[in-house]
Amino acid sequence: MSKPSINLPQIVLHDLWLHKWILLLALLVLCNAVAVVYGSHTTRQLTTQWDQLLQERDRLDIEWRNLLLEEQSQTEHSRITRIASKELNMSRPLPSEEVVVKVP
Amino acid sequence: MIRQAKTKRASKPQKPQQIHWRLYVVVGFVCALFCSLVGRAAYIQIIEPDKLRHESDMRTLRTTSREVQRGLITDRNGDMLAVSVPVRAVWADPKQVNDNNGFADMRRWQALADVLHEPVEDVLDRVRSNPTKRFTYLKRQITPAVADYITQLKLPGVFLKSESRRYYPGGEITAQLIGITNIDDVGIEGVENAYNSWLTGTPSKQKVRKSRDGHVVERLDIIQEGESPNDLVLSIDHRIQQLAYRELKRTTEMNQATSGSIVVLDVHTGEVLAMVNTPSYNPNARDNLQTFRMRNRAMTDTFEPGSTIKPFVVAAALEAGTVKSTDIIATSPGWMRLGGRQVRDPANYGDMSLARILAKSSNVGISKLALSIPVQQLLGTYQSMGLGSFSGINLTGESAGVIQDRHRWSDFERATLSFGYGLTATTLQLARMYATLGNGGTLYPISIMKLKKPPVGEQVISPSVAHDVMQMMVSVTEKGGTGTLAHIDGYPVAGKSGTSRKAVAGGYGDDYVALFAGIAPANNPRLAIVVVVNEPKGDLYYGGSVAGPAFAKVMSGALQMLNVEPITDKEQVQLAGIAAGRAE
Repeated sequence: MSKPSINLPQIVLHDLWLHKWILLLALLVLCNAVAVVYGSHTTRQLTTQWDQLLQERDRLDIEWRNLLLEEQSQTEHSRITRIASKELNMSRPLPSEEVVVKVP
Repeated sequence: MIRQAKTKRASKPQKPQQIHWRLYVVVGFVCALFCSLVGRAAYIQIIEPDKLRHESDMRTLRTTSREVQRGLITDRNGDMLAVSVPVRAVWADPKQVNDNNGFADMRRWQALADVLHEPVEDVLDRVRSNPTKRFTYLKRQITPAVADYITQLKLPGVFLKSESRRYYPGGEITAQLIGITNIDDVGIEGVENAYNSWLTGTPSKQKVRKSRDGHVVERLDIIQEGESPNDLVLSIDHRIQQLAYRELKRTTEMNQATSGSIVVLDVHTGEVLAMVNTPSYNPNARDNLQTFRMRNRAMTDTFEPGSTIKPFVVAAALEAGTVKSTDIIATSPGWMRLGGRQVRDPANYGDMSLARILAKSSNVGISKLALSIPVQQLLGTYQSMGLGSFSGINLTGESAGVIQDRHRWSDFERATLSFGYGLTATTLQLARMYATLGNGGTLYPISIMKLKKPPVGEQVISPSVAHDVMQMMVSVTEKGGTGTLAHIDGYPVAGKSGTSRKAVAGGYGDDYVALFAGIAPANNPRLAIVVVVNEPKGDLYYGGSVAGPAFAKVMSGALQMLNVEPITDKEQVQLAGIAAGRAE
């Protein structure tokens, strides 16, 4: 081996330097690919979350409807009137007994 | 092999030689492998991708549908009158039950029958009767709790389906007005029927991609665009509706009447604040519905309005100018001969002012007024105030009443028209006429919806005539009038009682319709109320004594609820504290 010794790493680096733009592009392509994967993953997660929120909304809507019915039966006017007159001994004043309070 | 070759030809030393064909075989083999892989990949991805796509879609694509509930119906203050709640229907596929040996575990079927409150034989019969059938309902409208229980029974071929159930918190109070829906959620009566398409929504269907654990990861195209249902806000005030129903029910029972109706109108907008009928029914328990209870009598049933029409005769005469509001009419001797017939008063009232004619409900006096104007003008006044035409409420089954249109009228017929015979009206029409008097002569279309902007009315009688007639009507509820029972302390009432005999084949029978119609407070009208009691069977049958008390109760209660200031002798209290606090 009489040839002058070759510094292989230097040659490799030099070669890489010569193709730096292609390398950069390759790197960008890689990053882009990862970003696409990440993006679609996040989208899926958000879609799942959205769907769960929609389901939650439906569930709350059903609960609200049932609570409405309960509220309506609890606040039914005849029931309030009965409780007011029987249990609390209240009565509705006649119009002639009313005292009008003027709020200035 | 090289070694072998060496040994065979040891004499000729040979250079080691490559055996090329081996390399070619291996390389060829590897290349072929690669090519086949690439080819296969290309085939799958480019030439024939649909099959695998289809396989994937089979495993991930799902169609979801979002069920929508029928819209809510509320009163003007937001009180619920009709609410839909999702429930489930349980159904069976008899073929699948039989194929999967579904009757192996009878304990499960027993448990199912128990939770449905039905004999187990009935349930089994429905599944067994026709084993090739693919669908049969086992029970509809079960609660979510029962549905969960049935799911856990894991019966083969038994499934659940979503549907919705309509609840009416108002019960019998609003039954005829709101109407009902049938089991398939279609409105078949009342407001539910008239506004069915507005209240009904359609479920939306969408294609989604689901991951292995059942989460939606991708939303694809919409298969069916859903339509969200709309809510309905009625003009009804549930407090007044409830009060009116309670009083009407009491009145109907006390007088052993066949039926009754009350309509409460806001005179300034034509909105219906209450519309109740007896007998009523409970729309939440429909096991034995009787159709006669479901009729909204306040707008479907007509009757001859009797004396309640008299104020409009006075209005027509004043409008025509044949009398002045200060005129005195002679009614002596208390009867009058017209053609071969007699019009009579209960007593000889002598000379009467117009107010006294109304207060005493004098047939002779009112007939004289009617005869002073052309009959077409009288009928024209009636018609212009809404008699004989639809009120604009826009509900199914409304009746327009009958007002005859002919050229020849005898004097007696003209007289009977003036005290409310020979024409028919509904409770709603009568209330509309009174509301028109109450707001200064403007006829508004009746609305069952809460109005967002003031309605467009039509001036049908002059404001001064309307005002005069209303002041005359106040004397009806004062001492000496026919409607003293409708008097309210604190609110002056302009009203008119009426009692009309019911027509039967060949004349008038022994049954009566007792009426009271009125407007209050007369100094600044807010409400027009008409109370109709059909066929009272008690000792009393006069409108003033049968319908008058109910009118007074409903009117005073409703005005109090609307915070209308009563006229009292008491001093008004000024809130000095608040005034001082605000000034600071």
